Amino acid sequence: MKKIQKEIQVRNPQGLHARPAALFVQIVSKYDVNVTVEKNGDRVNGKSIMGILTLGAQQNSLVGIEIEGDAADQVMQELEALLTQEET
Amino acid sequence: MNLTDFISRDAVTINLKSQGKEDVIAELVELLVETSAIDRKHKKKIVEILMAREALGSTAIGQGIAIPHGKYEGAKQLIGCLGISKKGVDFDSLDGEPAHIFFLLIAPADSAGPHLKALARISRLLKDKFIRESLKSAKDEKEMMAIIEQEDARLSAA
Repeated sequence: MKKIQKEIQVRNPQGLHARPAALFVQIVSKYDVNVTVEKNGDRVNGKSIMGILTLGAQQNSLVGIEIEGDAADQVMQELEALLTQEET
Repeated sequence: MNLTDFISRDAVTINLKSQGKEDVIAELVELLVETSAIDRKHKKKIVEILMAREALGSTAIGQGIAIPHGKYEGAKQLIGCLGISKKGVDFDSLDGEPAHIFFLLIAPADSAGPHLKALARISRLLKDKFIRESLKSAKDEKEMMAIIEQEDARLSAA
């Protein structure tokens, strides 16, 4: 099983708030992958909006994304696009 | 940040009666009006703002929880209230389940940080299934607030 990881800086001025968190989960749920999101040592399931919200990732904070699954590259690309959007 | 920093003691209810999305939001905002957290003349506008946010995507994040929230220029600080619907409300939740636990948040227009911190704080509380069940089955508002205060104490100590 393919496994990749990357650190991504959150660009959204509001941070990783409720709407981007929901969009994040929607992207992950489209594919057969396991995603873990990490910030400051806290690791949460990328399919849980609540989990992602507990990270409280503000603008410019770094989050680690780990993806396991055949579609890992595709998912990483979509998640990176989401997190680096200036407006959501 | 503690939950009790933005949820005032009286702005909680274990008995939300409304069935529709807009009605339940109005009922929660009314709770803030009754506890003087917001002025009655702002109620309609605030309900509109919260509904506009819902139109962008439901704030029902699954597992029976909804966090309707929005920014209002009249708000001087983050204000929130907590309501339980025993029956559940169809809130277009992502997992299709009715929402039972409502945390409503209104943030000042120029802020992003406190709002995000509050969302994180609420999520950390409600990730715990035991807490969700305890809140849903609380017999009165006093018991609800006791759960919240206990969790504040536990998470501040951690």
